[in-house]
Amino acid sequence: MKRRDFIRNVAAGSLVLRFGPGVLAGAAATPAAVPVLAAVEGESPAAITKEAIAMLGGMKTFVGKGDKVVIKPNIGWDRTPEMAACTNPEVVKTLVELVLDAGAKKAIVIDNTTNQAKRCYVRSGIQEAVKQAGGDMLFVDDYRIKKMAFKGAWLKEWEIVLDVIEADKIINVPIAKHHSLCRLTLGMKNWLGATGGARNQFHQDIDRAVVDLAAFFKPRLTVLDAYRILVRNGPQGGRISDTELVKTVVAGTDPVAVDAMGASFFGVAPRELPYLGYARERGLGEFELEKVRLEKRKI
Amino acid sequence: MKREKSSKHRVLELLRIASQTAFFGLFLYLLLGAHYTGQDYIGSTVQRFFHFDPLLALVTIISARLVYSYFAFALITVVATILFGRVFCGWVCPLGAVHQFSSFVFKKTKFLRPPREEKASLALKYYILIIVLAGALFGLDLAGYLDPFSFLTRSFATAVFPSLAYALSNFNGVLYGLGAIGLARSISQALENWTINVTFIQGFSIGLLFLGAVALNARKERFWCRYLCPTGALLGLLSRWNLFKLKIDEEKCIKCGLCAQHCETQAQPYPNEKWKSGECIYCQNCASICPTGAIRFPVSSRPEKMTNVSNVDLSRRKLILTTLLGIVAVPFFRLTPFHKRASLKLIRPPGSLPEDKFLAKCVKCAQCMRACPTGALQPVLTEAGPEGIYTPRLDMKVGYCEYYCSLCTQVCPTGAIKKLTIEEKNKVKIGTAWINKSRCIPYVLGKPCIVCEEHCPVSPKAIKFLEVETKLPDGSVAVQKAPVMDLELCTGCGICENKCPVRDDPAIFVTSVGETRSETNRLLLDITKKTSVDPYK
Repeated sequence: MKRRDFIRNVAAGSLVLRFGPGVLAGAAATPAAVPVLAAVEGESPAAITKEAIAMLGGMKTFVGKGDKVVIKPNIGWDRTPEMAACTNPEVVKTLVELVLDAGAKKAIVIDNTTNQAKRCYVRSGIQEAVKQAGGDMLFVDDYRIKKMAFKGAWLKEWEIVLDVIEADKIINVPIAKHHSLCRLTLGMKNWLGATGGARNQFHQDIDRAVVDLAAFFKPRLTVLDAYRILVRNGPQGGRISDTELVKTVVAGTDPVAVDAMGASFFGVAPRELPYLGYARERGLGEFELEKVRLEKRKI
Repeated sequence: MKREKSSKHRVLELLRIASQTAFFGLFLYLLLGAHYTGQDYIGSTVQRFFHFDPLLALVTIISARLVYSYFAFALITVVATILFGRVFCGWVCPLGAVHQFSSFVFKKTKFLRPPREEKASLALKYYILIIVLAGALFGLDLAGYLDPFSFLTRSFATAVFPSLAYALSNFNGVLYGLGAIGLARSISQALENWTINVTFIQGFSIGLLFLGAVALNARKERFWCRYLCPTGALLGLLSRWNLFKLKIDEEKCIKCGLCAQHCETQAQPYPNEKWKSGECIYCQNCASICPTGAIRFPVSSRPEKMTNVSNVDLSRRKLILTTLLGIVAVPFFRLTPFHKRASLKLIRPPGSLPEDKFLAKCVKCAQCMRACPTGALQPVLTEAGPEGIYTPRLDMKVGYCEYYCSLCTQVCPTGAIKKLTIEEKNKVKIGTAWINKSRCIPYVLGKPCIVCEEHCPVSPKAIKFLEVETKLPDGSVAVQKAPVMDLELCTGCGICENKCPVRDDPAIFVTSVGETRSETNRLLLDITKKTSVDPYK
């Protein structure tokens, strides 16, 4: 080895030693810095949705190339967007675009509605929004509802919309609303819309039903639309005065934390919602927001 | 002499078939189109057909004692019939097309061998017409039962479409089983898009009547049109002066009798002087089948002799007797308690006129039932008395009234259901919901439920809560939120009854009391009206 080479190698080696660990540590630290919960406030529903997903590491973190992705908004009611009974169409549209941009083969939007399905799909504005974004809007088909083993604490088996569970990835896109039985309907309760059968019997023990459903569906991502929330006469309202503008979207990988954050918009403490407690017991997530990596942003 | 069929009349016959196919297609298209298309207001659909029907126009005008401007279209049919005879029956009527096509099939399959000479009396349809008209004088609307448009629309809306949809959906099950998921999915999405409800309480009886009417063609060609159709009878009476009179070229005629044998409507083209202008529907069968091309329809302004219009012996005695029969029959239809007291289960669509006016106008066409997005609108059997059979009522166990929908009010051809905007409709009360506390889950079982409250579409909600203590069988006391009604806010939409988890006999149910349209079926004096503050003003 020539002296010159030796000097060069030492220099290179010391450079690596100087910066190497830092670079390595940085690489390891990047995922650790990604929050579990991202709450973005802003004027445009599309922009805040985009920002929230970006803060969680971008849609590519959740969706792989060629995936079939089901996006499950709340389209339960025959109400227009300003009534805040169904998920904001702009939020849904943005998610469909992001999912397709991330390389997904298909973005399917589906909900087992309460009012006539077509009326809900059309008048919520979601059908048009999904069409524009290139996603597929699907009506629930009776033959695509099957009874399945649930292994829940209360529900042992129930009818499930097959299109939802056959997807490679599931994204839950609820809207934050008042509900007179479980106080608030947020992310986990949105799964009632992926069930069939005599689902109104869930009300006889709604908190346990909600948790069993949330444990069954396990979404990769929950994006709570709190752009306009419904504060009374839930879950369908009917007057604009029943709603309030919060202009926020909360995205997260922990469904319990998303709901806990959603509750804060109504001034409801997470402990007041029994299903959040059951969900934490079942290991679905954490409702004490101090224990969760939460990032808020205003754009 | 050269024996040659008339190619001109063969072309006319083909044109007639094309015209029938086109009108039948248009009818299907419009009827299928009478649903929620994504627009709140769907414009004119199949009801336009009805406005061209002179029988419905006449009967509605007489029985409801008012002129409905849309029926001006019927004048077109009247003028066309006066000028050209019953071309409406032969070239336009979609039910006629169904009968002619099935007659053709029955002939081809040898189920039907038309006799060389047909002597059966054609009088029945004229008597039916007279009874219908006589009833109309007393506000009894019987036209809808046998009017071809009403009959066909009702049959398709509540029996044919639903059974096809049912069959398709079962076929879908097979397709899914075979793994043809793409095709199965397209079918199911289309069915959902067209909103074809498959539950109709009278679907069986209406479907059976329709099949029966079709099956009669195996006995006589176009049996319905020959013997039953009151609209055809009315048009027949008008056809006396028409310009095209059948003419047989005696020199060419070989007296084979094929024309008379294959005449669809027993109009008896041969011998020439027996031809009945009131029966001929200008289908061109005779002229096209004639081996020597002897039959033509030259223009002639000579009016037909009245006796020859149908060659039916409608003697004055028989006419008077039938008219009397029609008039005497009216009270029979009215000997029901429903004229004294509203039926609790007779929940009429929003915008319906008061009951007697409604019955005078409703032609039982079931278009409202076709348009109803939830299938709530069902044909009545017993709830409205005999004259109300097949009129619409809401059955909340099948569907409910969608809050933001006024489609049924938009499709009614006669205005029995008044056209309403969504905003107007939201102010109409079709009934009132009641809670059966001895079946309601929180009241009886002490368990949470509130499904009814959740679904109540009005804001503020008509269903409110009370904390209720329930003594359970083990002696313990459960406290639950239980529903109570705010009757002034309730519109009677019935979604609460439809969604109630107590399936067989829901713990919350709607009855007709309090309906806006009735001045007698009231609950509270001021339930819909604001009382003025100063009683002397």
